[in-house]
Amino acid sequence: MIARSRFRFTEFQLLVAPSLMAIVGLLTIFVAPRGRAEWSWTDIWVSLAFVGILFGMSLGFGAIGFRGDQVVFPVTATLAGLGLLIVQRLYPDLAALDDALAGLAQRQLIYLLAGLAVLFVTVLLRRRVIEWLRRFKYTWMILSLGLLAITYLFGTEIYGAKLWLYIGPVSIQPSEIVKITLVTFMAGYLEDKRDLVGTSWRLGFLRLPPVPYLLPMGLMWAASLSVLVVLNDLGSALLFFGIFLVMLYVASGRLLYVSVGLATFAAACWFAYRVFARIDIRVQNWLDPWQDPRDLGWQQVQSEYALASGGVLGSGLGMGRPYHIPEVQTDYVFSAIGEELGLLGSLAVLALFLILVMRGFAIGLRAQDGFARLVAVGMATIIGLQTIIIVGGVVRLIPLTGITLPFVSYGGSSLLTNFFVVGLLLNVSGLRRRSVNGGSRR
Amino acid sequence: MMSVLRATSLLLFFTLVGFGLLVGGDSDDARWLALLGTGWLLLLVAFWPSLPASLPTFNRTAIRTAFLLATVFAVLSVQLVRIQVVRSEATVTRRALDPVTGDAVTNPRVIESDLDVERGRVFDRNGSVLADSVRSGDVYRRVYPEPESAYVVGYYSPLLYGRDGLEATYDAELRGDEGTNALVRWRNDLLHQPQEGLDLHLTLDARLQRTAHELLADRPGAAVVVDVETGAVLVLASNPHYDPNRLFTASPPEREAAHGYWQTLTSDPASPLLLRATDASFTPGSTFKVVSAAAVIDAGFASPETTYEDDGSFEVDGRVIPENENRPDDSTIWTLREGMAWSLNIVFAQVGLALGPSVLRDYGDRFGFDEEIPFDLPLVESQLASDDEFLDERPALAETAFGQGQLLASPLHMAMVAQCVANGGQMMRPFLVDHLRNEEGDVVERTEPSVWREAISPDAAAQIEEMMVGGIERGVAAGAAIAGLRVGGKTGTAELGEGQEPHAWFIGFVGDPEPRYAVAVFLENGGAGMAGSLAIGRELLAAAMAGTP
Repeated sequence: MIARSRFRFTEFQLLVAPSLMAIVGLLTIFVAPRGRAEWSWTDIWVSLAFVGILFGMSLGFGAIGFRGDQVVFPVTATLAGLGLLIVQRLYPDLAALDDALAGLAQRQLIYLLAGLAVLFVTVLLRRRVIEWLRRFKYTWMILSLGLLAITYLFGTEIYGAKLWLYIGPVSIQPSEIVKITLVTFMAGYLEDKRDLVGTSWRLGFLRLPPVPYLLPMGLMWAASLSVLVVLNDLGSALLFFGIFLVMLYVASGRLLYVSVGLATFAAACWFAYRVFARIDIRVQNWLDPWQDPRDLGWQQVQSEYALASGGVLGSGLGMGRPYHIPEVQTDYVFSAIGEELGLLGSLAVLALFLILVMRGFAIGLRAQDGFARLVAVGMATIIGLQTIIIVGGVVRLIPLTGITLPFVSYGGSSLLTNFFVVGLLLNVSGLRRRSVNGGSRR
Repeated sequence: MMSVLRATSLLLFFTLVGFGLLVGGDSDDARWLALLGTGWLLLLVAFWPSLPASLPTFNRTAIRTAFLLATVFAVLSVQLVRIQVVRSEATVTRRALDPVTGDAVTNPRVIESDLDVERGRVFDRNGSVLADSVRSGDVYRRVYPEPESAYVVGYYSPLLYGRDGLEATYDAELRGDEGTNALVRWRNDLLHQPQEGLDLHLTLDARLQRTAHELLADRPGAAVVVDVETGAVLVLASNPHYDPNRLFTASPPEREAAHGYWQTLTSDPASPLLLRATDASFTPGSTFKVVSAAAVIDAGFASPETTYEDDGSFEVDGRVIPENENRPDDSTIWTLREGMAWSLNIVFAQVGLALGPSVLRDYGDRFGFDEEIPFDLPLVESQLASDDEFLDERPALAETAFGQGQLLASPLHMAMVAQCVANGGQMMRPFLVDHLRNEEGDVVERTEPSVWREAISPDAAAQIEEMMVGGIERGVAAGAAIAGLRVGGKTGTAELGEGQEPHAWFIGFVGDPEPRYAVAVFLENGGAGMAGSLAIGRELLAAAMAGTP
């Protein structure tokens, strides 16, 4: 399909903000510790390259005739730029603490580039991506579940959780992939069975949900959850559960499903709390990490110090000491932002995520195709829930479960998959009225 | 109907969260979380989207889901405001203890910034440096060049034991967080430039303090010299003491050494961290007779010439009080003046009985017993009696009047008693910090001498002063006389009971002819005879006068 190219003016304008942030921010990081206003162009080549790629991509979107949303990409770029800044800021301090983290910044750059490429390609392929996802939904699901199983068998355990699969020098985190296939599978399945999911089954006097159609999904859900409990990845388990409930509710409109889901979830939580000691520890750490500040509560206490030290305005980029928090580059990146950019910075980051999520729902609401709109809502939910789970854990609204802050945390799998998530959102926003697979037009 | 419910919910939400943030700021986290959870439900009610029934299922459910997520973001923001603003200060300085080892966990930022700051210096009254900040590598080291005065400044131990003494009381000023120009401070803060710490200029005289330590030698005790007119403290010597240089730490090996030093300090039975001059109180013995005499004269119950019978033993309510061995002859009638000069317990037992419990309590109050005396360092409260009914017993009243009973006083306080009598009955507020200066050398803050208590009338004070001078001319304290100067004084031997050496005291003043300096010397378990404390007192007074231009 040949489309006329078009200059994406709104997007181009909005990209000025992340560009300025990336350049000024990196300058600050280099100038701050020196105490003198001396810098050279080589200091900020990273940001200049980043800015160049952003505008290039925007022009590229226009060139291929992409007519989709113009807000999602600049917001994503701002968050990714912030992640870039934070890693650039942290790696000298972290490398001084631990040699293994010396290559942090370079790897983050590579992941970021690869992520942007994934985003661009996802948009470039247009409806074909959506079609593939829908047509091969069982295949993707089984493949990703298989990946989880392999991780269980051959994965590497870090901090008591088997999250990573090492293939040569590359490590991947299969749960990041599963979150996407979970959404696309459910979207496809629920869309296929749309007419049946909303109906009910009669069994004598009882009106039951259409059990045979929900059964495969229930199995899937149970399988993924149990694998995760076995793999020890509670954050992803929480995320999957949330996605599952939202998809079911949005597609069916039945509060009954949500109630049953919530009830089983509460039961599962209670069970896990009683059975696994480590969950007990997490709950204790959530309610009062100060009880055991040197051992179990150490990380959380350090994070509290960081956030509190930030105050309203923050210490300024490069002027704080967030490197005292263990794993600050992944789970606790939000605390580093809170310390150095203050309440204003942390609220701004939350606002950006909120904009992104709301924009995603809006894309879903505007989409015509039943599958695509469910995918859009699912993708927005992934970003929203993931933010809530990790930020909620960091600020101790809920127990902390290790999961990344999308686009900002360090981590290859997370960056790549989240850029794919945004790519799908953009992709759906760009779909024309003709629906996928030539399906019915309403 | 619906709108009323929504408005009420919103109002309730703001009330609950506002209450939790502002009023219940210190409440425990679990309760706050429950509050916030309730607030979230109220928020849901207040803003639940009312959608037309004609909307397709998908649109309805999607909008509701989006709304739900948005409210959670709102709750996250509220929690951030609590952590980063409301509870910020409390958290930054929060200390927590490891339940197993008892080690403290503190904010590393606070500790590290302590090493980054060039603290203000501390000077004595003649400009000698008592505490300095010296750049070494990328930290500022705190050094105390005068070993005899160092502990008065306190210690500064950022990585381990925090700070103490003036380093603690004047921490904000030494750091430059207070006392300097607010605009300059704000600018430095904004530009991440270090604040300019203020210098402390003390009333302490490092040379005199050194003399005091030479006189005390290695005996445990204290020596205090104050300016009679102003209340300025020139000497605040305590034995044993510690070396704050050894508690400063900037690196792990130093940390080990400091930790070891701290262990020896805390396990030493003589407790060198407890500064005898200010941190501890002791039975004052006969030095308290100055207070009793002041009370009985000021109240108008007696004059210096009032006579008392003393035949070597005195019975009160079945309790026999023996006289000490101070009487110069076998007379049985003694004036109050003579009783003071020869420190006769039976004379003062009768003074106590004449005063009665309420008048004695009143004068105890006026002289600052059972009161918090304002000072630049923590100062322990002196006490008249540990339980209220004690003085209602007549034997106890008699004992207290000559300095025993349940009396406890700090050496600094006893110096202030001497100062009060020598200053016409006005007890000045004792002070150690004379003024603060900024980097440009301008005086930012100066301590103005102020009267803390009008204890007794000038007339009564003059009579007591005269009696104390008389005690030096002819009496047990005769050894304190200094040729060419007018000296007044009172010795004290505090009996501690069987098997314990008594404490030896001396309080007094010197002038030419108006009193200039008051002194208090205390030797812990210094033994009877008082020669030690008396000699130290005389030497200190002479040295103080010699240093006066």
